[in-house]
Amino acid sequence: MTAEKAETTASDAIAGTTEGPAAPGPRALARRRRRASVARFWREFRRHRAGVFGLAALVLFVLVALTAPLTVGSDVESVTDAPGRPLESPSGQFPLGTDQFGRSLLGLLVWGSRVSLLVGLLAAALSVTIGALIGITAGHFRGWYATVMMRITDWFLVMPTLVLAIVLATVLSRSLGTIVLAIGVTTWPTTARLVRAQTLAVESRPYIERAKALGGGHWHIMSRHVLPNVMPLVLAQTTLIISSAILAEATLAFLGLGDPTVVSWGGLLQDAREAGSVSSGDWWYLMPPGVGIAAVALAFTLCGRAVEAVLNPRLGVSR
Amino acid sequence: MSAHDQHGSGRTGPRPRRARLLAAAGAAAFLLASGAVTPSAPAARAADGDQGQKKVLTVAVAQSVDSLSPFLAVRLLSTSIHRLTYEYLTNYDPKDNHVIPGLATEWKSSPDKLTWTYTIRSDSTWSDGEQATAEDAAWTFNKMMTDDGAATANGSFVTNFEKVTAPSPTQLVIRLKKPQATMTALDVPIVPKHVWEKVGDFSKFNNDKTFPVVGNGPFVLTDYEPDSYVRLAANKDYWRGAPKFDELVFRYYKDQDAAVAALRKGEVSFVAGSPSLTPAQAASLKEDENIHVNDAPGRRFYALATNPGARAKDGTEIGDGHPSLLDQRVRHALFMAVDRKAIVDKVFQGHAVEGEGYIPPRFSQYFFEPSAEQELAYDPAEATRLLDEAGYRKNADGKRVDKDGEPLNYRVLCHATDPNDKAVGKYLQEWWGELGISMTLDCRDNVTDPWLAGEYDLAFDGWSVNPDPDFVLSIHTCAALPATPKDTGATDNFICDEKYDELYARQLGEYDAGKRTEIVKQMQSRLYDLGYMNVMAYPNAVEAYRKDHIESITTMPSSAGNIYGQDGYWSWWSAVPADSGDSSGDSSSTAVVIWVAAGGAVLVGLAVLFALRRRASADERE
Repeated sequence: MTAEKAETTASDAIAGTTEGPAAPGPRALARRRRRASVARFWREFRRHRAGVFGLAALVLFVLVALTAPLTVGSDVESVTDAPGRPLESPSGQFPLGTDQFGRSLLGLLVWGSRVSLLVGLLAAALSVTIGALIGITAGHFRGWYATVMMRITDWFLVMPTLVLAIVLATVLSRSLGTIVLAIGVTTWPTTARLVRAQTLAVESRPYIERAKALGGGHWHIMSRHVLPNVMPLVLAQTTLIISSAILAEATLAFLGLGDPTVVSWGGLLQDAREAGSVSSGDWWYLMPPGVGIAAVALAFTLCGRAVEAVLNPRLGVSR
Repeated sequence: MSAHDQHGSGRTGPRPRRARLLAAAGAAAFLLASGAVTPSAPAARAADGDQGQKKVLTVAVAQSVDSLSPFLAVRLLSTSIHRLTYEYLTNYDPKDNHVIPGLATEWKSSPDKLTWTYTIRSDSTWSDGEQATAEDAAWTFNKMMTDDGAATANGSFVTNFEKVTAPSPTQLVIRLKKPQATMTALDVPIVPKHVWEKVGDFSKFNNDKTFPVVGNGPFVLTDYEPDSYVRLAANKDYWRGAPKFDELVFRYYKDQDAAVAALRKGEVSFVAGSPSLTPAQAASLKEDENIHVNDAPGRRFYALATNPGARAKDGTEIGDGHPSLLDQRVRHALFMAVDRKAIVDKVFQGHAVEGEGYIPPRFSQYFFEPSAEQELAYDPAEATRLLDEAGYRKNADGKRVDKDGEPLNYRVLCHATDPNDKAVGKYLQEWWGELGISMTLDCRDNVTDPWLAGEYDLAFDGWSVNPDPDFVLSIHTCAALPATPKDTGATDNFICDEKYDELYARQLGEYDAGKRTEIVKQMQSRLYDLGYMNVMAYPNAVEAYRKDHIESITTMPSSAGNIYGQDGYWSWWSAVPADSGDSSGDSSSTAVVIWVAAGGAVLVGLAVLFALRRRASADERE
């Protein structure tokens, strides 16, 4: 379906050139075509109200995270110069109260969003990269290679993801890289399966046969014909995986497997639990990071669903 | 995580998939936010069926039992249970920790200091009716001396014994190889010979199959479920007097928050302060009028240990401790940059005492304070000077470098399960950062492996100290080092210092209490100067109990002492039940209610959002 779309786009553009007055060069053509498809994508996307809402929320979160060094600065992490008393309830000076060291929780929440988003994005990128690589090669080469790769994928698929990630995070040293790795290498199998299915569908089309007949090698076919056609799927998958990666990061940090010296949302929850704020009812320590995690995960999910619906006509008919 | 697992299966029903995904994302986030608010161990509840008639004291503990065999048990909970169920030769007075009679009523040593004669009391009977005699004690010690399996837990007490005999049922004679000052502090449970001589392999027998377990302490062990509870019944015939409660239950709560919630609801009467309640928990429990928070000087010291270049007895080096730490000036500089007052005020929030010498001030006779010129007080300027003097100067980036130009970066081993380690770690990172030294906080669930392998530069360290300090002093002698790198020694931190060893030997042979105390203080002074063990604080034992369940309970020492984990059975033996035992603290649970309501609101919000989306797309669904 996405492939068909791409083909129509191409034929539209070609039709445009034949009718156009002065024939522009192939580069300009490609550029115009891409611009047109982006515009069409945006038109479609705008129709999904939830998607737009999710995107707006995301832009807000990313802006907050990117401007954190200007708004709160790394001083907010300092325990020795903490401005407040331990576990102050919300007040004018500290809108979300303070943590066990007397640091402003609003500042920590803003500062922690950087790590949560960063780990979420990196882990999702790693996961989707592995998934796309294995999916495309397995779909392209078939035979024993595909069998072996798919059995490995199946094996990872049936492994409880969280347990595997915990084991990895425990065995390796505690750092952000470890968490990214632990999430990345445990969440790729679904992407691999989806991409492989799409690759099989794409490769059965006649133009691939034409390309082969004209001497196109494995690399040419995979990079020039299959990859562009599975890209929309990969993009949609990425946005969806980001939300689960952020949840996974929070889970691992909450379980105490993150780097204890780095402030993240999951880490804040872990600190709150260790400080005993669950039983002492210090809700301001627990609630904001939890709501933050839920909101970001929701925003990514809404966004990803909308992207998926736009790119995959079978999912969401225009509305 | 769970959200992701959902989209593995097929691509058929897109709409319901979104539903699950949203719900899963919301639920997962909510679970994260609410943490472990649910009490996790209601299983043992059913076992408390007939609570109405019997007066039951339920204690929430955060530790599970390692073994119920007195020959194997080392954990605080297990050894506390053995205190309650078996008699030891001697006991400690709850007022001031001095030695008082236990199974032995009196004791004396021969003029050559090598023969000790104990008189065994004749009014102690085993719970199966047999008389407890000197023969039982002699058998217990002999078993530990001859069977390695039986020496697992308390073997160190008998290594210096030459011969133990029982010439009569009321007389026990111990012949020593060398004089030993700890002969009135033999913390070894005496077991009934007629029961235990049938045991085959002592290294495997856990004493948890047949109940009740035959004992002669103030309580009798009647039931045990691993990782769940231990039940003890009062021994009505106990020679010192029967306990006031009929039953004592230690219930295992993995999560301290769950234990606190159970205390609020009245499911348990006592929450053990091991680990201590957090300052936030203590503060919120203090507001409950039915709950008493006991904030007592602790038995522990909380220290920063420095790898002294770990080596085995045969001289082979172990591990890879940072060579710069072999310089005493560097060690002193690191510790001088530590503001112990800030640690007590900020991390422990006052529930600790500032660190001085090695033994906590609670054991006042052995407590050592460094003199003014000796003290490594908080002084970053002096620390900078010492580091410059030692040759570790700052480079262009402001980092201190060693002779090869490598920046100093220390690995600090911390217990992932101890929040205090992580909190203090954050402070250390900033204090040492100002000196130009970076550090990596290496938090692990299992610190034992890197520790024994000597693969650390610094480490958070702590020990509980007994009324007799011999043990905590012995772990820093050269004799405690592992024989070869492959062995495991009793050593704490691979310290081996000739002067310290010489003092250790002297105190062990010194029977005069005053002179021995003096030597023990000299040892601590030496340890302090070496700078391998830097005591930052003595954390308090913060524990809480319900005043409507327990009317009174003995602390040890009686003025400002702890309750759980005493050196004796005083607390549980002396606890007096309160008349009304069924009112529960509703006032304090409102906070939890608000909490749950807030969490629920988020879920409802998500549900509404989802419902709206669903309605909007109702006409498109298949």
